[in-house]
Amino acid sequence: MKKLFALIIFLLFLEKNLYSAEAGMPQLDPEYWPSQVFWLIIIFLTIYILISKIFIPKIKGSIDLREDKIRKDLEDAKTFKEQAELKLNEYNSLMETAKIDVKKIISKSRQKLNEDMQIKKDEAQKKIDAEILNAETEIKKFKKDSFNKIKSISEDITSNLVKDIFGEDLNKSSVEASVQQTIKEYQKGK
Amino acid sequence: MATNPMEQFEVHKIGPEIEISGINLSFTNSSLFMVISAVLILILLLFGTREKKLIPGKIQLISEMLYNFISKMISDTAGKKAKPFFPFIFSLFVFILFCNMVGMLPYSFTVTSHIIVTLTFALFIFIGVTILGFVMHGFKYLKIFVPSGVPIVLLPIISIIEIISYLSRPISLSVRLFANMMAGHTMLKVFGGFVISLGLIGGWLPLSFSVALTGLEILVAFLQAYVFAILTCIYLNDALNLHH
Repeated sequence: MKKLFALIIFLLFLEKNLYSAEAGMPQLDPEYWPSQVFWLIIIFLTIYILISKIFIPKIKGSIDLREDKIRKDLEDAKTFKEQAELKLNEYNSLMETAKIDVKKIISKSRQKLNEDMQIKKDEAQKKIDAEILNAETEIKKFKKDSFNKIKSISEDITSNLVKDIFGEDLNKSSVEASVQQTIKEYQKGK
Repeated sequence: MATNPMEQFEVHKIGPEIEISGINLSFTNSSLFMVISAVLILILLLFGTREKKLIPGKIQLISEMLYNFISKMISDTAGKKAKPFFPFIFSLFVFILFCNMVGMLPYSFTVTSHIIVTLTFALFIFIGVTILGFVMHGFKYLKIFVPSGVPIVLLPIISIIEIISYLSRPISLSVRLFANMMAGHTMLKVFGGFVISLGLIGGWLPLSFSVALTGLEILVAFLQAYVFAILTCIYLNDALNLHH
């Protein structure tokens, strides 16, 4: 900074003839003061009148226009939003009732289905039970029959065997008794 | 060849000499540059308000920003009551700003670098504000010289100081603008002269100073217009809302 000042002072010395000319301020020369004041008043008055009467109302108008537009748009947006919310509420309530209805329908149909299934099941059960009963009686009968058949076959075989081996007929009752005896022993031994 | 740095402030008449009742009212270069500034302002505002677009163009944006800037300045310093004076403050600020800025162009003349111009403004504002104060508050306006909450012993001294400061308002207001503009332009001229006299070898340093000073002067040109306008607002505030 000091160097800078020194340089400036040095330069000022170089420029001595700068001030050798008539020094002084032209501003303090009153020759043209009235002229300057006169023209200043005229020109400033002109632009003041033009600005206050024409330009400021115009600028204010355009700014107001914009602000009005923005305000109106905001209000519109607000009303639209409210409407949208109303619609949304309506939609939500509709959905709510629809859901309840759907639940009702589902539960009703399920109940009906269950009842139907129960009836069909019962019918099927009855049929199955009857079939089982039939089969069991048949099996019992078959068992009994087979036992008697085996018994008569054994008696035949026994009497035939005795006839072949000993050559004589045994009376039927004794064969029956001995077969009965053998079956009993067999069943016991088992 | 170096020229006198004060030469740029000389006023000389252009065209015929106009004399009304012995007073020289000739059209001068000062008047010419006042007209140029005024025409520039009117052109800017004309183009700025030519169409009311919802989304403003560049020039419309400038004029609207100017409007909002000054509107905010007034409402911040002088309150709502100062609204009728908005066109005056607007014109004042714009006119001083344009005179300062036009003065920044090389070979132009700075209207506001003349004490008589700034003093005319300042005296008009001073007298206007004083009259306004008396109209608004009547004799109570003199209370401005008697601050509240001051010990009675100090009151005479304080009042004298207040009166002096009030009376020196036009001088401080006018000299601030005039001296700033004159000093800046003189300095620019002096550095410009150095560039010539030091030539191709040494002239670069003052040239760079000149460039930097030009930037500074543009800032000062805006700042002084702003200061002039805001001080006017503050004086208006004193007259409109008597706070003391």
